[in-house]
Amino acid sequence: MLSEICEGKTLPLVTREITQETINLYAEASGDFNPIHIDESFAAQTPLGGTIAHGMLILAYVSEMMIQAFGLSWASGGKLSVRFKAPARPGDTVTVSGKIDSTEHKNNILYANCSLECCNQKNETIVIGGAVVKLPWQQEKAHAWS
Amino acid sequence: MSDKGKKEAYITYGELVPGYEFPPASYELDTLLVAKYIKAVDSSADKIVPPLAVAACAMTAMSGVLLLPPGVIHASQEFEFFKLVPIGATVDCHARVAQKITRTKMHMLVLELSVFDEDRERVQSGKATIVLPVERADAE
Repeated sequence: MLSEICEGKTLPLVTREITQETINLYAEASGDFNPIHIDESFAAQTPLGGTIAHGMLILAYVSEMMIQAFGLSWASGGKLSVRFKAPARPGDTVTVSGKIDSTEHKNNILYANCSLECCNQKNETIVIGGAVVKLPWQQEKAHAWS
Repeated sequence: MSDKGKKEAYITYGELVPGYEFPPASYELDTLLVAKYIKAVDSSADKIVPPLAVAACAMTAMSGVLLLPPGVIHASQEFEFFKLVPIGATVDCHARVAQKITRTKMHMLVLELSVFDEDRERVQSGKATIVLPVERADAE
């Protein structure tokens, strides 16, 4: 977890390699068997030209970064808003990054407003968006969190 | 996923109207299901159900009865998480059509998702925008 919550603080990077096996595992786990993800011959005939990872798989990596940064506060008081800019394909290495843009203190709750991005190995943006996390206000850390 | 609320009937894109509510579905987020998800996404959250695993259930609840053409892709997504979900919990997933947008080259659906726990408390909500290939959608 982050040692301090303050404006400009970067969130821990999460890097994952996408393989067709990863995609197939996610299809099994989620029940999403859309052929664009798992059927290579079907996907090859679409404008995408091949299989792509589930958007929700990439968001799982985003969520992993937020869990690493904010712990259970993310799962009980997180808000995420993202746009998918490009597909992640088998063979890609995706890296999720983010930072705290601002913090806000209201009614004994600290809100951390974050920007986040997920890029592939060519530094192309796959996912872009923002997140807000509600954290309990800790008076003893007020100097670090304000 | 073990879907206790699986329905037999399907609805197509053409039949959807804004406000349409999908049949709710229940999921038991048991150890096996959660372990499978954690392995698939290489997650470090092993004490609770990862919030995106719950979200995946909500998406599956919808796709289980929605007959969409192959090639549907995800354009944007919003989620809000309200409450931790322990492993072994059962959740109820609800989805409705918020918007249906028809353009010359593509169709879009905006779907709202809500997930409740056994105490009927909301654990998360979301909004998904998906894009459908026009020719195939029209052929349905």
